[in-house]
This record gives sequence, structure tokens and C-alpha cells, in this order.
Amino acid sequence: MEKKLSKKISRRTLLKGTAVAAAILGLAVSFIGQTAMAQGTIKYGTMHPLTGVYSVLGLDQQRATEMAVEEWNAKGGLLGKKIVWISRDDQLNGAVALRRAKELVEEEKCDFIGGTLSGAISLAMNEFACKNKIPYVAYCQSDMVLGADQCKYGAAFMVIPSSAALAVSKYAFEKIGKKWFSITADYRWGQSLLEGWIWQSEQMGGKFLGNVYAPLGATDFSTYFPKIMAANPDFIVMNNLGADQTAAIKQANELGLTKKMKIVCSKTAMHTIQELGGVYDENIMGGMTFYWKLRDKYATSKKFSDAFQKKYGKPIEQDGESGYVATNVLFMAAQKAGTVTDKEKIMNAMEGLKYELTKGPEQVRACDHQRVQSYLIVKGKGKKAKGWDVADIVAEIPGDSIIMSCENNAKKLPFANVKLPK
Amino acid sequence: MLFDVPWNVIVLQLFFGLALGSIFVLLASGLSIIYGLLDIVNFAHGTFAMLGAYAVFVAISLSGSFLIGIVSAIVVVGLIGVVIEFILLKPLYGKDPLLPLLLTFGLSVAIPDLIKIIFGLIGKPINYPEALSGATVLGPLILPNYRLFIIFFTLAVLISLWLFLKKSDLGMIIRASTRDSLMVQVLGVNVSRIWTIGFAIGIGLAALAGAVAVPTMAATPDMGVDMTMVAFVVTVVGGLGSLGGAIVGGLFIGLVVAIASFIAGEYATVSMYFCMAVILLIRPRGLFGEVGRE
Repeated sequence: MEKKLSKKISRRTLLKGTAVAAAILGLAVSFIGQTAMAQGTIKYGTMHPLTGVYSVLGLDQQRATEMAVEEWNAKGGLLGKKIVWISRDDQLNGAVALRRAKELVEEEKCDFIGGTLSGAISLAMNEFACKNKIPYVAYCQSDMVLGADQCKYGAAFMVIPSSAALAVSKYAFEKIGKKWFSITADYRWGQSLLEGWIWQSEQMGGKFLGNVYAPLGATDFSTYFPKIMAANPDFIVMNNLGADQTAAIKQANELGLTKKMKIVCSKTAMHTIQELGGVYDENIMGGMTFYWKLRDKYATSKKFSDAFQKKYGKPIEQDGESGYVATNVLFMAAQKAGTVTDKEKIMNAMEGLKYELTKGPEQVRACDHQRVQSYLIVKGKGKKAKGWDVADIVAEIPGDSIIMSCENNAKKLPFANVKLPK
Repeated sequence: MLFDVPWNVIVLQLFFGLALGSIFVLLASGLSIIYGLLDIVNFAHGTFAMLGAYAVFVAISLSGSFLIGIVSAIVVVGLIGVVIEFILLKPLYGKDPLLPLLLTFGLSVAIPDLIKIIFGLIGKPINYPEALSGATVLGPLILPNYRLFIIFFTLAVLISLWLFLKKSDLGMIIRASTRDSLMVQVLGVNVSRIWTIGFAIGIGLAALAGAVAVPTMAATPDMGVDMTMVAFVVTVVGGLGSLGGAIVGGLFIGLVVAIASFIAGEYATVSMYFCMAVILLIRPRGLFGEVGRE
């Protein structure tokens, strides 16, 4: 075969051919690029976990972004230009997400990036965005707006974990009791929640009886419960999410614990409640940044959740809602700045930007690029649940009551001083 | 009291470890039978457990009976196993051993995606059967009935499996094929059919594991990934291809996870991989594995 080839094509001819092909390809790419420029488009690239255990939330993020982009394009685009949206699967993996971000910025030439469901990945994205001076809007709970991670080009559109903990713990200590025991997913997000709980407990006279760290993705929690049963708390705090939370609550129920004590989830999700069927009853409550029943309170919530429901046939999860707000606020900032090329000007325009999109009036805090928003406490409906009507909103904790001052956030205080249990 | 921990808490902890280990035993014994008989490393083993969980969901939705759910899991998924073995695996026998491994790996990716298309991305709830809810009180011990069920159910399955393999003609042929399939073929037995039956039994056991485990969680398309990992850890610890090894390995790993959860919860998962690493270092063929099968 080699002999046959050498007779037909000499090395020199091959090199010449390759060079000509590369030149033609280069010209073609350049032509396509120029055509896109001439058409005047703006590119927005997002990353979501579209495969794996959290794909249900990734899909909601993707759909919400799609909806926001379509709405802007229907109104004539951004600054008169059509918005082209490119979405990638980050597989909930930091290394993959970083590769996707590089593709989006270096190859696809995106003007802005956004998305991700993991706080840890958002930290890496934030660092990438800061180095490349490209605006990045995070859709997930993230610490990226605190301490040394604060940067000009990053903004977080779901609450920071400690805010979630502060909101839920405030409600729990006021309405349920003082003695608590926690199950914490053993990674950065879970630990941030626990810091918030311990700090709040000290402020409100709570009694912390202990904590167990469970590895992320644990499916059996039964072996953690004897210790908790012996401690006999007023309530168990779940600092976990998704399948971990489903299994933990199911197994607590199996032991009859949901009848003896309350379960309080720092963050819960509509699909988790649905997966648990009738188990998630009035003894179980959790925090959410958005739940479709907020439509009964705000006209904006009604308009937004009805539009999503009509388009996709199901109510939106909080993770999608934060994506919708992030996308809109990013475009609003660019509109206000009157540019898509001057990234610093766009971020300046985002600082302090006030808007009312899906809930009540909100803003992006100027000092740390944090969306100031309320946190909802929902209570399960148990066997009375029907379709997506799985929970009732029992409280809406105002956003400004669960965030620390700009000075404290810049130093990660007071949570940096909290000593976590081993 | 032991290290300031009350005895009843320690016993309860070990009880949970035993129940967890029972699910591991069901999973690993299926994997062991398939490896012992066919020399196939089934990367889709947990995927079949997931199918068992969904079979329970469908059966309960239609009939309302958990028992019918359990029976459907083993029958339906066992039949799926027969079809897969007959159509996809059979042509690969005698060829590169990497091919069946790649095939089962492909199945472990494709089947969950198919389930996502059919049932959606959100997990399906399966509640404990009413008759098995609640707990049995034994003095200071409160033992959840469903965990007791898992332990006794696994025991019943293992006794039935043992009787089948030791006392029935078919069982003896399966055991003989595990030892020397060529000799069995020379004696006039259709070994190809034996392999199909063996594969179906192995898959059926995986489905049973998924079926009994699912009321403690929810049926989700990706639940099989962790189950495959656990099955491999237990099989490696117990010894590849050894049913006794799968039983001892499963219970041992269940207890290790329970003890680790109590002492340092964050190391619960790592503890089983640590055990596997230690066993591989000091006895590469596993606790009950045969020489040459490490």
C-alpha cells in the first residue's frame, strides 16, 4: 500500500497540495467570518450539564436561555443586531466546561458567556472570564462574587450559598426549633451552606448537635441515621441536592424520622419533590429562588412562568429562571452601555442595574455583581400533590436581609471565621 | 457503650450495613455468574439493575402491586438479557475479549438514553409497599421492616439459586459449563443455550437488585452507573466468577461502608475502593477467586 502511494504522490506534491488546501480553507473560513460580521450578529455562548444526573436542570437552563434570546430577537435583537446563541454540554465537569468556554470564546468568537450548574465550575469560569476580559453570567449558586474571586467580568444570578442557608435557617429557628443536625454533601457548595447555618445558629441561639458529611452522589443514607436518631434534633438540615436529597429524605421517611422531626433543605427542587412522590409532605421544607406558584403574587412571575409553561409544557425550575434573568440582564446592560465590544462598559452598566423580570423589583449589586433577590421557603404537599403542584410557598425572605455588606463580602466575612466540624 | 456510642446504635448501624450489603450481593452475584460462565466483563450490569427499577415502576403503575413489580423485573429484564445475548453477544464469542466489553460499555450508554426518551429526565417515585413500611421493635432496637425484607429476600434468592445450581440438572450443566464448556459440548449439550440461560440469570439478579433498592431512592436513568461500580468492587473483593465470593464480598463491603459512614461519613464511598485496593495488593484473585483469574 505504501509503495502504491509513493508511486502516485511524492512528498513534495503532498506538501504543496496540503498548503493549497489550507489556504483555500483559510480563505473560506475568513469569508464565512466576514459574512457573519457583515450580517451584524452578536454571539452568546452558554454551558449546561445536558448529560448526567443533573441534565433535567441543565435542560431547563438551556430552554430558559433560548426563550430569552428568542424574545430579544423578536423585539429586533440587541442594538439592532441579531443575537446568535450557542449552547454546549459541560457534562458538569470542570475540565470539560473550561474546554467548552475556550471553544466558545476562541473559536466561536462569542461576545459573552454564561451558564453552568455547579458553583465549583462557575469559579473556574469566572477566572477564565476575568483573564480574557469577557462578561460571564453564572446561573448557579456560587461563591464567585466573594473575596479574592470578585472580578469585573463575572456576575452571579442565583443566590450565594450562604444566603440560601441564612434564609432557610432564619425560618427554621423561628418556626421549628433550635436543635439541629445536618447532612452535608462533601464539597465546596455543601460546606458553604454549613458555614451559613453554623453562623446563623450562633446568632439565633440554635443548638448544633452535629453534622455528617456524605460523599457527593451517595445513594445510601440509612447508615448515617442511627447517629442522628441518637442525637434527637428538632430538625435535620439537608445540605445536598438532586438524587442525594431524594435518597436521604426517602430513607429518613423509611425510619419514620419525617414524623418525629422536620426536614429542612437549604436548597430543594421541584423535580426532587416530584421524585419523592407523597413522601415530601408538610414536615419537609426547603429553599428555592423561584417556584411557579409565585405567579399568584407577582404579575411578572405569572407572565414569565406562563410563557415558559406554554412553550415547553412544564413549569420552569429555579435554575432555568436564573438563566432567564442572567441572559436578560446581560443584554439590558449591553443595551444600556450601547456597545457589545467594550466589555468593561457593559459590566459598568450592569452594576446597580435595576429590573423587574420574574419576581419583584431586583438589582445587580454594584460592589460585587450579585443579584439581590428573595429566597422562598416551600413546604411539601405530600399525597395532596397533583402534577407540578407539589409544594406551597410558606415564606419569601427578602433579598437584602440575607446578604452581607459589600465590605464583608470582599473579605468573605463572617463565614470565613466559621470553624467547620470535621 | 463503645467509645461513648450506645450499643443499640452500633447494632442498628451494622444492621443497615447488612441490608446494604444484601443489595450488593444480588448485584455482584449476577456479575459473577456472567463472568464465570461467559468470561464477559459486563459493563452494563448496573444498567440492567436500572431497568429492573423501571420495570417495578411500570408494574406498580399498572397493577399497584410491589410483588408483581419484583416478578416483572426479573422476567422482563431477564428476557431483555436473552434478546441481547442472542442478537448482540453471541456473534462475538470466540473473538477478541475486548469486543463484548466494548459492547456492554456501549449498552451502558445507550440504554439510559433510551430510558430518558421513554420516561423523561426526571426520576420516577416508587414508594415502600404498605405491608413493608413501619418498623419492628426488638427491645432497644427499632429495625425498619423494609430493610429486614431486603435481607430476608436476598437470603431466599440465594438459597433458591444455590438449590437450582446444586440440585437441578440444568444447574449442574451450568456449573459444568463454567468449568469446561468444551467438554460439556462434547457430551452433547447445547452449550450455546446454556450461555443464554446463564446470561439471563445474571441479568435477572441485577434487575432484582435494582428492584429491591429502588424504593429507598427513585428510579432515574443514570442510577446504574454507581451500581456497576459497586458490583465491580464487590466482585473484585470476593473473587471474579465466584458466587461465594460475591456473597461474602457484598456483605463485607456493606459493613465497611456502614462503619465508615459512622466514623467519617465523607469517606463512606472511598472506603470500599480502599478495601478493593488492599485486596488487590495482597490477594489479586480476590477472597474466593481461583488462581489464574486475577
